[in-house]
Amino acid sequence: MMFQSDFHRKKNFANPNLFNNSTAAEKPAPPQQPTPASGRPDAKEETKEQEEVRTEHLFKHPLHNTWTLWYLENDRSKSWEDMQNEITSFDTVEDFWSLYNHIKPPSDIKLGSDYSLFKKGIRPMWEDAGNKQGGRWVITLNKTSKADLDNLWLDVLLCLIGEAFEHSDEVCGAVVNIRGKNNKISIWTANGNNEEAALEIGNKLREALRLGRQNLHYQLHKDTMVKTGSNVKSVYTL
Amino acid sequence: MSASPTARQAFTHALPKTKKIFISDPIQMPEVYSSTPGGTLYSTTPGGTKLIYERAFLKDLRGSPLSQTPPSDLPTCLLRGTPRTPFRKCVPPPVDLVKKPRSMKIEDHEQFQLEL
Repeated sequence: MMFQSDFHRKKNFANPNLFNNSTAAEKPAPPQQPTPASGRPDAKEETKEQEEVRTEHLFKHPLHNTWTLWYLENDRSKSWEDMQNEITSFDTVEDFWSLYNHIKPPSDIKLGSDYSLFKKGIRPMWEDAGNKQGGRWVITLNKTSKADLDNLWLDVLLCLIGEAFEHSDEVCGAVVNIRGKNNKISIWTANGNNEEAALEIGNKLREALRLGRQNLHYQLHKDTMVKTGSNVKSVYTL
Repeated sequence: MSASPTARQAFTHALPKTKKIFISDPIQMPEVYSSTPGGTLYSTTPGGTKLIYERAFLKDLRGSPLSQTPPSDLPTCLLRGTPRTPFRKCVPPPVDLVKKPRSMKIEDHEQFQLEL
């Protein structure tokens, strides 16, 4: 609906006679939304300003990468790998929002579920060729409210799709684990031995997510895979 | 457009991190705003210009009319505001989507019956 009235205004703007003409009566039936009266001296300027805002809304903004969203739900009848469901992929800012505006936020999915956002072609699994040598920054969220959890996840997504990291080539994706009091968000990178890239990404995360004094731990997937207890050694800590 | 992160890594070490250009005269400045002294900033990125968007800009686009259409492949049980339903109950996709190809076939068939 909004789009339609924008269209009307645009049409009026494109017709200079409407602005030169001081009698508003000659106008065709005005659209529902109020348009600036043609006689007002600042009318033209105002329209111009609105025009500028709208330009951003007229086309889709391409992303550097195509991203795929995955959803994992616990199902005892399936293997872990089969519990991962590929939901959809997008490669523009607007298509990201179209998905985000309509999909349940992390706080609203089942206990034991995960959302993962990965570059297209990399599966959210240690075994994938893109992750084999890699590791992850883990953010443990013990006492985070639902709203904070959702906001943190959104900020992580925006860092990924906006390519916020200097070493964004090293980023594979991010996962949010919904586990009640032990919710986790992790950012997966391609090569755990690339210390410089890992540290840059970790520091940027702390800054972008305003994590304050919260500890950040980087764990190699190969260590997580063979863990015996609940403790996995951290190769880097921030 | 992009190779896998592991494949890309081969490039990164060979690239200079920063490049300092000293300007002694205004004439050395580039003519257009889209360029930086000594060449355009991202011209040396493997694979071309990196598309970077800041958080505020991304958030601003949330309200765009183009950001409002739900993706057609979104499973119903993940839609905002719907009750929690086991995921296996909402895959496969809705029946009307599956039926479509069949009805198109019938139309094709009818076209062949026209006398030309």
